[in-house]
Amino acid sequence: MSWTRICKTADVAPNSVKKIWIAGGIPVLVVNYGSGFRVVPPVCPHMEEPLEESGIVASCVLTCTKHLWAWNLMTLEKQGETEKPLKCYEVKEENGELMAFVDGELLYDFDKDDDMDDDAFFKS
Amino acid sequence: MPARNHAQWTAKPPLANDEWIDSRIYSDQEIFEQENERIFKKVWVPVCHESELSKPYDFRTMSIANEPIIVCRGPDNQVRAFLNVCPHRGMLIERRPSGSFLEGQPSGNPKRITCMFHAWQFDMKGNCVYVAREKEGYQDRLCKEEVGLRRLRCEVKFGGFVWVTLDDNPAVSLEDWAGKAFTCLQKSLDAEPLEVFHYHKAIINTNYKLWHDTNSEFYHDFMHYHNRVTGFNDAYFARKNEAFEHGHVVVGTFEVNYQNYEGFESRAALSFPHLPPNQWYMIDMFPGYNFNLRGSALRCDIVTPLGPDKVMIEFRGLGLKRDTPEERQTRINHHNSIWGPFGRNLHEDLIGVAGQGTTMRPGTESRRILHGRQENQTIHDENGMRHYYDEWGRWMNIMPNNPDQTWSERSTASAAVAAAE
Ligand code: FES
Ligand code: FES
Ligand SMILES: [Fe+2]
Repeated sequence: MSWTRICKTADVAPNSVKKIWIAGGIPVLVVNYGSGFRVVPPVCPHMEEPLEESGIVASCVLTCTKHLWAWNLMTLEKQGETEKPLKCYEVKEENGELMAFVDGELLYDFDKDDDMDDDAFFKS
Repeated sequence: MPARNHAQWTAKPPLANDEWIDSRIYSDQEIFEQENERIFKKVWVPVCHESELSKPYDFRTMSIANEPIIVCRGPDNQVRAFLNVCPHRGMLIERRPSGSFLEGQPSGNPKRITCMFHAWQFDMKGNCVYVAREKEGYQDRLCKEEVGLRRLRCEVKFGGFVWVTLDDNPAVSLEDWAGKAFTCLQKSLDAEPLEVFHYHKAIINTNYKLWHDTNSEFYHDFMHYHNRVTGFNDAYFARKNEAFEHGHVVVGTFEVNYQNYEGFESRAALSFPHLPPNQWYMIDMFPGYNFNLRGSALRCDIVTPLGPDKVMIEFRGLGLKRDTPEERQTRINHHNSIWGPFGRNLHEDLIGVAGQGTTMRPGTESRRILHGRQENQTIHDENGMRHYYDEWGRWMNIMPNNPDQTWSERSTASAAVAAAE
C-alpha cells in the first residue's frame, strides 16, 4: 500500500479524536492536537481500550483515561508511567485532505505466548 | 403381604447386599459433603458444550462441588477453564452466567477478564495482566506473574462437550475413563460439529443419585403412561443395560416405531450421522450425566448436587450445526415432544424423584431402597443401578446399604467368606 486518503482535515475538530475505517478495512484513530494530526491504531497499547472512547487530547497530550497512559503528540514522548510507545502512521495534509502512509495495519502485541501442553502445565 | 410393624419395616430385606440401599446415602449432610470431596472434586464433569462458547472471548460460568468455575474461548480458539475466584481477595470474578469479553467491563478492558472489586485483570490464558497501582502497593514484593488465575484441566471431547476436573492429576485420563462407554455413539457424535438448541434447568428437592437412578432403569415406564401404551414391544424389552468400567452404563439400541406414537412421525430422515434410522442409545455416566440419542436429537443432562436433598439438573438438546432452519425446527420438535419441560416424559420423571425426595428428607428414618430386580440385564433389570453403587461405594469407601461400614471392610469380609467356603 501507499499514501491513503483518511478524511478531510475539517472532519476532526481540534483537540478531539475520531475512529475511521480506511481502504483495506483497516481501523485507525485520527487525532487532531491543534497544531497537527496523528493517525494511530484505534486501541490503547496498554490493554486494547478503544481510544475513541477513552482518549482525550489536551495541551498536545493524548491520554487514555482508563489507566492514564499518555503521549506527547508532537514529540511522541511517553508521559509519566506510560510503558509502551504510541505507534503512528506517517501523515501529510494535501488540499484539505489528511493522508497517511499505510503499509499494512499497525498492531500491538498483546498476547503472551507462553502455552504449555496440559501435562507439562499441571505436573510442573 | 400384610402391613408391617416398625421392626418388620426396618428389617433387612431378603436380598443380597448389593441389591438394596440405605436411604441415608440420599439424605445425610455429612455423606453429601464427603461426596463433594471424594467424587465431585476428583471426577471429570461435562460442564457445557463448546457451541455455547462458539466465538473467541465467549465464556460461561458454572460450579463444581461448590467451587465457581469459568470456561472461556481464547483468541487461539482453545477452550480453557479457571476457578472463577480472584487471586486478590477472593471475589467472584465473573457474575454473569454467560457472555463475551470482547467488550470491556466498566472497570476493565476489552478481551480481558476483570474483577470488578479492585480492577485486577486477566487474559484468556489466565495470566494476570493488570494490577491497579501495582508498584505503589507491592513495590517489588509481588508482581503480576505471581497472581495468575487457577487454571483447571479442560478437554473438549465426545461430541464437543467441555470436560473439566478440579483434580490436576486425575487417576485416569478422560479418554480412559469415558472412552469405552462412548464407543457406541462416538462415530455419530464426532462426525461433524454439534450445536445446543435447547437449555433449561430444574432445581429439585431430591438427591442427585435418585435422578441418576431414574435415568438408569426403564422399569419406571409404568409411570410413563404414553410410553407404556404405545412403546412396549418385544424389541423394547430385549434391550440390555451394559455395564462399563468406572460405573458407566449403556442402554443398547432398538428401532423405535414412532408411527405407533400418537401424533409422532418417523425420525429417520434426520438421524445423526452413522446412526441407523430411528435408533436410540443412552449412556449413563457416573456420577450423574446422561447422554441420550433418540435418532434425530441428542439430550444431555448433568447434575450439580446442591445439598443432600437438592439437585440442579441442566438439560441440553443438541442437533447438527449445519442444520437448515427447517431441519432445526423439526429436531427441536422431536426433542421437546419427549424431553422438553412439557414433553411426554420429563415432567413425570421429575415428579418421580421429587416424590422420593419428599420421603427421604434429612431427618427421616433410614429406609431400605430395593435395587434387586434381575431380568437378564434387560431394561427392567436394576443391574445398572447396582453397577453404579458399586462404583460409588469404592469412591466413597462407604457401603451403600450400610453407611457405617466402609467399602474396604466389605471387600475383606466377602473375601473371608469366599476363603472359608
Ligand atoms: S488501557 Fe489505556 S491506559 Fe490502560
Ligand atoms: S478481589 Fe479481585 S481485585 Fe480485589
Ligand atoms: Fe423416564
